[in-house]
Amino acid sequence: MTPAEEPGSRREDPAVGKLLRWYPRQWRERYGEEFLAMVEDTLDGRRPTMRLRLSVAWGGLRERGRQAAVDWKEAAKRHDVYGRRWMIYVIGFFVTTLPADFRASLPPARAWQATAALGALAAFAAFIGAAVVAGGLAALPAMVRFLRGGGWRTIRRRVAWAAGATAVAGGMLTGLVLASRSQTFAQLNESWAYLLGVIVTSLALMVAIGLWISAAVATARHLHLSPRVRAAQMMLGAVTSIAVSVMLAVNIIWWSAIQSSVLLLLLGTTGLAVLIPAATMKMRRAVRSGKRLRRTVTR
Amino acid sequence: MAPNRQPAGLRRPNDPPLLILVSLADGPKHGHALAKDIEGFAGVKLGPGALYGAITRLEERGLIEPLGSDDRRRPYRITSSGSAALAGALADMRRVAKAGLARLGLDGSLA
Repeated sequence: MTPAEEPGSRREDPAVGKLLRWYPRQWRERYGEEFLAMVEDTLDGRRPTMRLRLSVAWGGLRERGRQAAVDWKEAAKRHDVYGRRWMIYVIGFFVTTLPADFRASLPPARAWQATAALGALAAFAAFIGAAVVAGGLAALPAMVRFLRGGGWRTIRRRVAWAAGATAVAGGMLTGLVLASRSQTFAQLNESWAYLLGVIVTSLALMVAIGLWISAAVATARHLHLSPRVRAAQMMLGAVTSIAVSVMLAVNIIWWSAIQSSVLLLLLGTTGLAVLIPAATMKMRRAVRSGKRLRRTVTR
Repeated sequence: MAPNRQPAGLRRPNDPPLLILVSLADGPKHGHALAKDIEGFAGVKLGPGALYGAITRLEERGLIEPLGSDDRRRPYRITSSGSAALAGALADMRRVAKAGLARLGLDGSLA
């Protein structure tokens, strides 16, 4: 019997109970009942006001954001998420700038640079996709065991949130593509409304990406992966992270071609130059960690 | 002397965590009682979202702790680290208030 069902407890208004939906499950399990008791005491039999609903919604969303941040930190410790958070969020922004970038007419002298950068971007995007698929396939047997054991119930809410956010972000991105079709690159570049659309769509994409990662981390927590698979995941994580960094630098080089900007070209090439030693170190660390992991288990 | 840097939530007089610690300083209270008390002594009306957000942070940091209860209303009490953090934050605020009052020529206004 839950405390809410105990004699003497109140829960007359279903609208009050629904307020808890804004909060993550773990928080609801710990604070849910006392929180509802407080809300009911505050309302004293009245219906929840808009101010109260907003206060609860804001508090719940903040709690969800905090929970996602905690999940991220755990994931970073376990090396089971591809890439770094900031890079994935920056990708969200880059994707939203693509519709306008494709409308740009390139200066003839810079056409080769743009073509090469775009080709490299496509190649790296395909590579990252393949790495993520490979990571997923490596974890597939554990995932199947988890789902067969009734695991879907524990992750379905997170997956539903992530899918919903993806649908919203996808719709906004489609709107951006459609809006960009009727205007030239110069018009798009000067339009405040379009810039606002890009920013809002970026945020929606970032939220969607964050929710998928949160769902992946929550799932990974329940998977029993062998040391070999975990070592492979570490390697794939390092490779993907490097590929994302390279993509960011190449994207800047592409922008430099579109904008005919020497400054952006310098920034992009410097980024690539800095990445070479950083990538080498990262790969060495991943290889060492993988070896250490396998040694620990075989002892 | 510059004031010590207090932890987040204990820097401004109307920070919900600080108000909760002040309210709990004279004994345990549950959510609704906390909100009423804070409104009474500080004139700040904390919504359930803000209040429970602050309670969550304070409990995580070990500054308050829940007490057992048969009721759905769970009371909280301030811990010894909570009392120390509150004392530090209030001392900082008093130092700033004293400096301000002295410059206004109202030295005796703060005990």
